[in-house]
Amino acid sequence: MAEPYVKRQPAGWWLKNPAYRRYMLREATALPLFAYTLLLITGVYRLSQGEEAFTQWLVMLRSPWCVTLHVVALAAALLHAWTWLQLVPKILVVHTNRLRVSGTLIKRVHQLGALLGSVGLVVLAWLFLAQGGS
Amino acid sequence: MSQTIRIQLERYRPEEDSEPWQQTVEVPYHRDTSVLDALNYIKDHVDPSLSYRWSCRMAICGSCGVMINDEPRLGCKTFLREYLDAGELRVRAMDNFPIERDLIADIGGLVGHIESVDPFLIVDAERPLSEGENLQTPLQLERYEAFSECINCGLCYAACPQFGRNPQFLGPAAITLAQRYNLDSRDDGTPRRLAYLNAEEGVWSCTFVGYCSEVCPKAVDPAAAINQGKVSSTLDFVQRRAVDPVSTEDG
Amino acid sequence: MQSRQTDIVIIGGGGAGLRAAIAAAEANPSLHITLVSKVYPMRSHTVAAEGGCAGVVQDHDSTQDHFEDTVSGGDWLCDQDVVEYFVEHATEENLQLEHWGCPWSRKPSGHVNVRAFGGMRTERTWFAADKSGFHILHTLFQTSLKYPSIHRCDEFFCTDLLVEAGRCAGVQAIEMRTGDHVLISAKAVIIATGGAARVYRHNTNGGIVTGDGMAMAYRQGVPLRDMEFVQYHPTGLPGSGILITEAARGEGGVLTNRDGYRYLQDYGLGPETPPGSPKNKTMELGPRDKVSQAFWHEMQKGRLVETDQGDAVNLDLRHLGEKRINERLPFIRSLAQTYAGVDPVTAPIPVRPAAHYTMGGIQTDSRTQTRLPGLFAAGECASVGLHGANRLGSNSLAELSVFGRVAGEQAAQFAAQADLVSAAALEAQAAEHCSRWEALRTANGPERTSEIRDAMVNIMDRCIGIYRNEPDMRSAGEELAELKLRYREIGLADDSRAFNTEWLYAIELGFLLDVAEAMTHAALARRESRGSHQRADDYPDRDDTRFLKHSLASVERANPESAPTIDWQDVVITRSPPAVRRYGGQDTSLKEVS
Repeated sequence: MAEPYVKRQPAGWWLKNPAYRRYMLREATALPLFAYTLLLITGVYRLSQGEEAFTQWLVMLRSPWCVTLHVVALAAALLHAWTWLQLVPKILVVHTNRLRVSGTLIKRVHQLGALLGSVGLVVLAWLFLAQGGS
Repeated sequence: MSQTIRIQLERYRPEEDSEPWQQTVEVPYHRDTSVLDALNYIKDHVDPSLSYRWSCRMAICGSCGVMINDEPRLGCKTFLREYLDAGELRVRAMDNFPIERDLIADIGGLVGHIESVDPFLIVDAERPLSEGENLQTPLQLERYEAFSECINCGLCYAACPQFGRNPQFLGPAAITLAQRYNLDSRDDGTPRRLAYLNAEEGVWSCTFVGYCSEVCPKAVDPAAAINQGKVSSTLDFVQRRAVDPVSTEDG
Repeated sequence: MQSRQTDIVIIGGGGAGLRAAIAAAEANPSLHITLVSKVYPMRSHTVAAEGGCAGVVQDHDSTQDHFEDTVSGGDWLCDQDVVEYFVEHATEENLQLEHWGCPWSRKPSGHVNVRAFGGMRTERTWFAADKSGFHILHTLFQTSLKYPSIHRCDEFFCTDLLVEAGRCAGVQAIEMRTGDHVLISAKAVIIATGGAARVYRHNTNGGIVTGDGMAMAYRQGVPLRDMEFVQYHPTGLPGSGILITEAARGEGGVLTNRDGYRYLQDYGLGPETPPGSPKNKTMELGPRDKVSQAFWHEMQKGRLVETDQGDAVNLDLRHLGEKRINERLPFIRSLAQTYAGVDPVTAPIPVRPAAHYTMGGIQTDSRTQTRLPGLFAAGECASVGLHGANRLGSNSLAELSVFGRVAGEQAAQFAAQADLVSAAALEAQAAEHCSRWEALRTANGPERTSEIRDAMVNIMDRCIGIYRNEPDMRSAGEELAELKLRYREIGLADDSRAFNTEWLYAIELGFLLDVAEAMTHAALARRESRGSHQRADDYPDRDDTRFLKHSLASVERANPESAPTIDWQDVVITRSPPAVRRYGGQDTSLKEVS
């Protein structure tokens, strides 16, 4: 008896289609963020080893590859945040028998939250640095 | 009708072929010619042995899903004019399903998943018809309305790499249908359906690729349905753990 | 050949077939029910119905009014006992669908909403936006999954009814995936295969609507009744015939000709109503036969709008505004944009009549039983006597539920007291059918299926249209007979078994030719004008003395290839003697649509 033909999913399934490539890029943002996390953990470890070790670590941070990692990690974090904000209204639905909040509003609130959080962190860091410097 | 466009068809005839092969056909082009019209032209005038599914011609019966230049599309809702620049049109059976023959995918798996999620109204206390209709405000209807518009065409399964990897995954349409009833104000069946949604092959097999929603011809947004299902599944887990920490140990 | 046994076999998985299956399963859970369909049930053409489903629900409405609208809409050719039963049960069936989850559109209060429809004096059309058939079909399909006694054979193509000792004893089918023949013996058989408007070129129907069940019954000697009555829907898209629902007019859309003139007022449907304020049974809310006939007259007067796809009139919805169009007619907006390149918010939709619905079908009694014991029929394939010479919009979806349920219950009752005919007794005739279909699969004659089909649909468009005349119909009869001869000389390029659609289309073409012939000969025999059957030249008037009768087209079982003979059956009149149909200003009982 004739049988249906079963195609196996090729390993490069995501290469052909822009939608899949965007998805893989979004998932791949985890990699630079992982590397950045390792870098910060190294910093804490160096701190525990004394002032000289920590200063060396600080010097290393100024190296070109380390600056590059920072830039890539920042870009990845921003991309991931942006994709997340795009998807939020699909996941978070406020819709009861009496009330319905539009997806756009939910997205805007999240964008605002992200913006305020980011600005807040920068201000905190700036205050901290200003104090530490005096 | 003097202009033509070249269409490459992927053919597979189970009685003769061990694997699919490509056939190239020239089809007359008109501004209003859909891919389905082109297939009908080929069937009538070029090669009567080409097989494909179709019926309504108006994007509501869900029969004519195929891959067109690697995208899952309805043949009746895709027009040759969209491909004039590309110069060529490649048509094959929907990805991620076995091929029955030519452009006909074996969608038994999809239908099986749809059947498996109790996609009907479940009520604790049946009311007799003599008591009239259940009240449902337009706002309550709107909560599930988009999810009720799925035509079961299967394009979202052709778009889903997770279903391609594991055909046991319930997939976009079946989960959307479960959510359609879960969100219906008349329904009490959510606990029953959560059993399917919570399972490994339920909502948690989805990694939010989101392509299912992009290809949906009826703007159903199955990715939203599935990921709202993840929220329900999580809340359900937390609630059950809070009420009875022991019995939920095995998930 | 595979062989299976069941208690009830239902052919067709559309609205009527699914409703029958559920009714039979509820009536007697011990019965084994087999639902056979050539497509997955949700592909069935019920899916394309848009506007809605009739059922009296408003306080100021009554079943008596629904009865009168249906009977006068049908030009008094309805069996009135059937109409009485129908109007009494339509609402409960709509409610039943609601209890099964159908997403009917609602009023702000949460109660079900109703809209105006052609030929109905009060708003009584339940709707789910403009996808009512889609939602009804999916609700029924999904609900059918609750019943373990319903077994589906999806993508099984029925070819024959099996008749033994004067009783319908099963069906024969082809499993499309493999091409194998399957004999299904059953105690009762229900045909629910829908209509046959695919005999026309310009039609609103899906490719699967090929009159299979009608032809299968006809070949077994069961008469097809009232086949001359074919409804032209007034508003299909030019070229494709894609359906633009009557609800577009129910919501306030207007029809205009080349000069922007609301031409319906010239054809007994006026006086003109303000755009956006429709009045029941008036102008655009006239019955379909009269609205389509008005188009024909405009065509004779040369007042149509030219389009790429042929002449049309304009259906103008612009005054409804984007919000109302999106709320009430979202599918229509999408269809017009996709298939006519027109956004109805900013431009009128070009439309013209297209063959839509067969009022006639397999003759049944008022409880869906045919004259062949054990055989029942429901839905568009059947002629239960509801629609007469012209069906009112939204009565057919209600018919699916009301008479689908009756058929399921009747078949369950019949099956409970009948025995299975032994498979051995059926095998001989099954083998005969089998060799006939196998011969077709491997036929290598000179004739092509698609050419014969194209010839047939052109004949039907030309000769059995909105207006008919003797010479055209005679010529149609002769040309169809010739096509049947050519059909015997058919050859297929593909002799494979698995999903051989060339083979299946050839079988369908045979069904279509039989149905086309029955329509043509019934039309010739009816020497009057009534409802959708109009003979302006020779018999322009209704003739109640001679033709207040149903036509019955039948062939002998022994000689199914012959042309049909036409007999007549009395119409059942209970409380409404034939009278003049009154619409618009002629009807004094009308109110404005709220």
